[in-house]
Amino acid sequence: MSTTLILVIVIAILLLVTISVFNSLTNKKNQVTNAFGSVDVQLKNRYDLIPNLVATVQQYAAHEKELLTKITDLRTKALQPNITSEDRVNLDNQISSALSGLMVAVENYPDLKASQNFIDLQRSLNEVESQIAAARRAYNAAVTDYNNAIEMFPGNLMAGMMLLKIRQVFTATETERGSVNVKDLFKS
Amino acid sequence: MATEIELKSLFEKQLKEKLSALESTRKGILRRHLLTFALLAVLGAGNFFLISLNPHEALIIVSVLISVALLIYFIYQTSKKKKKYREKFKSDVVAEVVKLINPDWKYLYDYCMSQESYKQSGLFPHHYDRYNGDDFVTGQIDQTDFQFSELHTQYKQVTYGPKGQRHENWITIFRGLFIHADFNKNFAGSTFVLPDTAERLLGALGQSLQKFSSRGDLVKLENPEFEKLFVVYSSDQVEARYILTPSMMEAMVNLYRRFDGEIYFSFVGSRVYFANSFNVALFEPNIFRSGVNFSDIKEMFDLFGMTSVLIQELNLNTRIWTKK
Repeated sequence: MSTTLILVIVIAILLLVTISVFNSLTNKKNQVTNAFGSVDVQLKNRYDLIPNLVATVQQYAAHEKELLTKITDLRTKALQPNITSEDRVNLDNQISSALSGLMVAVENYPDLKASQNFIDLQRSLNEVESQIAAARRAYNAAVTDYNNAIEMFPGNLMAGMMLLKIRQVFTATETERGSVNVKDLFKS
Repeated sequence: MATEIELKSLFEKQLKEKLSALESTRKGILRRHLLTFALLAVLGAGNFFLISLNPHEALIIVSVLISVALLIYFIYQTSKKKKKYREKFKSDVVAEVVKLINPDWKYLYDYCMSQESYKQSGLFPHHYDRYNGDDFVTGQIDQTDFQFSELHTQYKQVTYGPKGQRHENWITIFRGLFIHADFNKNFAGSTFVLPDTAERLLGALGQSLQKFSSRGDLVKLENPEFEKLFVVYSSDQVEARYILTPSMMEAMVNLYRRFDGEIYFSFVGSRVYFANSFNVALFEPNIFRSGVNFSDIKEMFDLFGMTSVLIQELNLNTRIWTKK
C-alpha cells in the first residue's frame, strides 16, 4: 500500500514541476513578444514625427531636398504592412543613420536651429530615441531571461518538446559600430 | 555653489563671532545639566535620610512631592533654555551657511518635508506613528527645483512581557536626509531603486527571492556593479530603462560611494526622491564641547551641498527631452 502511495506522490510532484516549468517558459516567451511589441510602438512614434520634421526642415533648408526625400521614402517603406521583421530592422537602421545625417546637416542653417518648432521637434526626437533605446534594452533583458530558461536545467528538457528556440538580442549593426566618419555624413 | 575658501572666510568674519557669543549660553546650559544631576543626588540622599529617621508618613510624602516638583521645575527651565539656544544657533549660524551656498534658497529650521511628499515617494511604506524633522531648505538649481530636510519617522511596537507587562518600543523606519527634485524626463509610472540587501547577503538566491514585491516588477539591468548595490522595481520595464540609462546607473554607483549610509531613490510623478540614512541628528549644536569649531560648520556645509551633488551627478539640468 505504501509503495503505491509513494508512487502517486512522486508522480504528482513530477506533474506539478512539469506544469510549473511549462508555464514559466510560456510566460518568458510571451514576455519576449511583449517587449518586441513595445520596441515597435516606439519606432512607430518615431515614424510619426518624421513628416513634421521634414516639413519644418524644408522651409529653411531647401538644399537638403535629397536627404529629406530619402527619409520620407524610408518611412513609407517601413509603414508597409507586409514586411518581415528583418527588413523592418534593416529599414529602421537606415532611418536612424539618415536622421543623424540630417541633424548634422541642420548645423548649416542657423535660422532653422533657432526656430521654436524645430527645437520642440528636436526634443521630441531625443525623447523618442531614448524610449527606443529603453525598449531595446527591455527586449534584450526579456530575451536573455528567456534564453537562460530554455538553456538551463530543467527548462532545456521542456524547451525541446515545446519547440522553443534561442532568440537573438538587439545588437548594433556593423555600420553603427564602426566609428562615425564625419566627412561622410556631410556628403548627404 | 560656494567653495570651502568662501566658507572659511564666512567662518572667520562672521560665524566665529556669533558662535563665541553663544558660548556663554552653552556653558550655562551645560552647568545646568550638571546641577540637575547634583540636585537629583542631593534630594535623593536627603529623602533617604529622612525616611531612615522614621518620621510621620505625611512628612515623607510632602518631602518627596516637594523634591519631585523642584526637579521637574529645574528640568523644565533647562530645556527651555536649551531650546532657545538651539533656535539661536540655527537662525544665526546655520542660516548663514545656507545663505552662503545660495542666497535665494529658503531655510526654515523648524519646518520639515511634508508628509505627503514622504508618502508620495513610496520609499518607506511602513505605517508611522511619529513623524519628525527639521532643517528644511527649498530652492532651485538652474532649472531644477528641490526640497530638502532632515526626517525621522518611527512606529510604535507594543510587546507584552512574560508577566503581562506592556512594553512600548519605538522603532525607527527612516532617519536621515530626504530630498526631492524635479526630474528632467516625463514619465507615468513609478520606479524604485533600493539598497540590494538580499543580493548582498544571499547572492543569486537573493535575486530570486526579490521577485515578489508590491512595488512592481523586478527590473534586471545591465550594469553589474549597479546590480550588486541596488535592486530596482518598476511599474513598467521600458519606463524603468528610460529613466535608468547607463549613465544614470553609473551616477548612482558614484553616489553610493560618496555618501555614507544607505541611499534610496524613487521616481514618481515625474519627480525624483532621494533618501540617505544617518544614525545621528544633524545640524544640532553640541552642548558638551565648544561651538567655535570650523569642522562642525564644514560638515553642515557639506550636508546642505548634498542637493547640488545629487542634481549634478544625476544630470538633472540636462533638459533636452520634452520636459523643460
